[in-house]
Amino acid sequence: MTVQHAPARTATRRPSRPGRPATAPGRSGRYRALRSPVRLTAAVVVVLLFVSPIYLTIVNAFKTEDAIVANPAAPPVHPTLGNLATALGRPDQLIQLGLRNSLIVVVCSVLLLIPLGSAFSFWISRRRTRPRAVILAVLAAGLMIPPQVVLLPTIRILTFLGLDHSYPGLILSNLGGGYFSFAVFVYVGFMRAVPDEVVEAARLDGAGGLRIWWTIIMPLVRPATATVAIFLSLWIWNDFLNPQFILGPLQGQTITTGLYLSVGQYQMDYGQLFGIMFLAGIIPVAGYLLMQKQFAAGLTAGSTK
Amino acid sequence: MKPLSTWFRDASRDLGLRLIAAFGLLLYTVFIIVPVLMSLRSSFTDENPLKSGSTWIGTDNYTEMLHDPQLRASVLFTLALAVGVTGVANVAGLLLAMLLNRTRLTYRVLRTVAFLPQVVSGVIVGFVWKAIFTQNGLLNETLTRLHVTDQPVDWLGNPHLAQLSVGVVVAWVLSGFTTVVYLAALQNIPQELYDAGSIDGAGASQRFRMITLRMVAPATTISVTISLITVLKLYDIIQVLTSGGPANATQSTAQYIVKTAFTTNRFGYASAVAMFLLALSAVIALSVTSVLRRREVDL
Repeated sequence: MTVQHAPARTATRRPSRPGRPATAPGRSGRYRALRSPVRLTAAVVVVLLFVSPIYLTIVNAFKTEDAIVANPAAPPVHPTLGNLATALGRPDQLIQLGLRNSLIVVVCSVLLLIPLGSAFSFWISRRRTRPRAVILAVLAAGLMIPPQVVLLPTIRILTFLGLDHSYPGLILSNLGGGYFSFAVFVYVGFMRAVPDEVVEAARLDGAGGLRIWWTIIMPLVRPATATVAIFLSLWIWNDFLNPQFILGPLQGQTITTGLYLSVGQYQMDYGQLFGIMFLAGIIPVAGYLLMQKQFAAGLTAGSTK
Repeated sequence: MKPLSTWFRDASRDLGLRLIAAFGLLLYTVFIIVPVLMSLRSSFTDENPLKSGSTWIGTDNYTEMLHDPQLRASVLFTLALAVGVTGVANVAGLLLAMLLNRTRLTYRVLRTVAFLPQVVSGVIVGFVWKAIFTQNGLLNETLTRLHVTDQPVDWLGNPHLAQLSVGVVVAWVLSGFTTVVYLAALQNIPQELYDAGSIDGAGASQRFRMITLRMVAPATTISVTISLITVLKLYDIIQVLTSGGPANATQSTAQYIVKTAFTTNRFGYASAVAMFLLALSAVIALSVTSVLRRREVDL
């Protein structure tokens, strides 16, 4: 499995990373200075075209319906907050309730997945090679199994536990799914890089496993925690299938299922639609922009040799 | 072999840690391993939530799958989508990454922006693109105003165009991801390799084939595998954009499972299709990974 090896590779490569920026500036300086304005223009045009649907969402959220129909691509010359006000003033409180419910699910799931994933990874990374490889292979499957395959039985198990169609049930199933696998793979990569001597020294001082994990290992693998927290938050926030069926339509909506139910059912004008999409998307986008360094680091960690 | 006394002391000392670790593994077992086994069992029954009890019907569901035109169409569409989208997203991602692989601030801003399609949810992506593609949508209005077409093109209503439209949207989302993955790989290629190539008289296309393509091979493995798996699991974007229509033309296998289970209530049959999708994903992921890994070594 690809994903299985990826974090381990990076962990070993990590120390060399500070050297990289040193070569990078030289590269751009040396490279055909003449063509650089052309290249820059091309890059700007291509990227703007690429993200034009996002651009349309942002500008049209602040335009009146007439202005949108007249020219969807034009910037908001006379910006209006009317669309956002309409979206926030809906009687079903789609945005407010959706954001609140999604926040509850994300925070509870991620706050529990971090200790579960990291404690498990610490334990498994100190096991012998053979059982470790077997367990990690089983966990790798969790990254690949389509969620539709486990959806029906998951609902039955939650019904058996008396947790079907409830937030605790949705959160519990998040803890056990592919999210756990992802957390473990990120953490194991980093924890293998922690020298045995660190653990041994703490052992000799009489510290138990729990204490070593929490006070020594966790601070050492903070970048892993950042990666796990960021990506799991984003995925759980954007998840649609599980809230749709595990939570069901009667327990209040997350932001994704709420959009699907309310926006999908009625014809609405562009102004309203883009206003709602803007408000629904602003939190993950703002989070991404604030933490883009960690995002890039996490993706790099997972995907290069 | 440790003396028994130390073992006992260690075990009690590590009890807390072991409990948390075991709880994690228990949840994984309960919500992944057990469900897969339950699905496997259901796939041999006629389970239906509307009637109590279920009968063991052997391989009847699997035999039925062989003659199910909807399943067949969904599998063909899913495979075509997986191959097409993976190809487009990886070529576009690599090209975009090469274009953006500079250190000036503007390029860094552009890189940040290029990842945005990955950040917003599939539901939002679906609705925004629906506003663009729909009959009287933004694309048709623009095309009519520019006199490119006289009458609106039915991007989501014509089966073939709808399949193409879904492909465009999914490739768009995945390109944000592949761009960042290839950028990370490009940044790790030492400039010396290109300099040496130039000195040896390699042209731009040769440098691309002999240096860039080879050096990003590990990133290609990851990027292609994740693209394929993503398409095989795909549900939310299609559900919002076309709901699998028109006439099931854009119905993915993952969607067909959900529809069979929750609309027609045939849990047993849905489980059999789910087992098929699981096997398909496993075969594709494992074979593609091993082929690409071998390619990494050969290159």
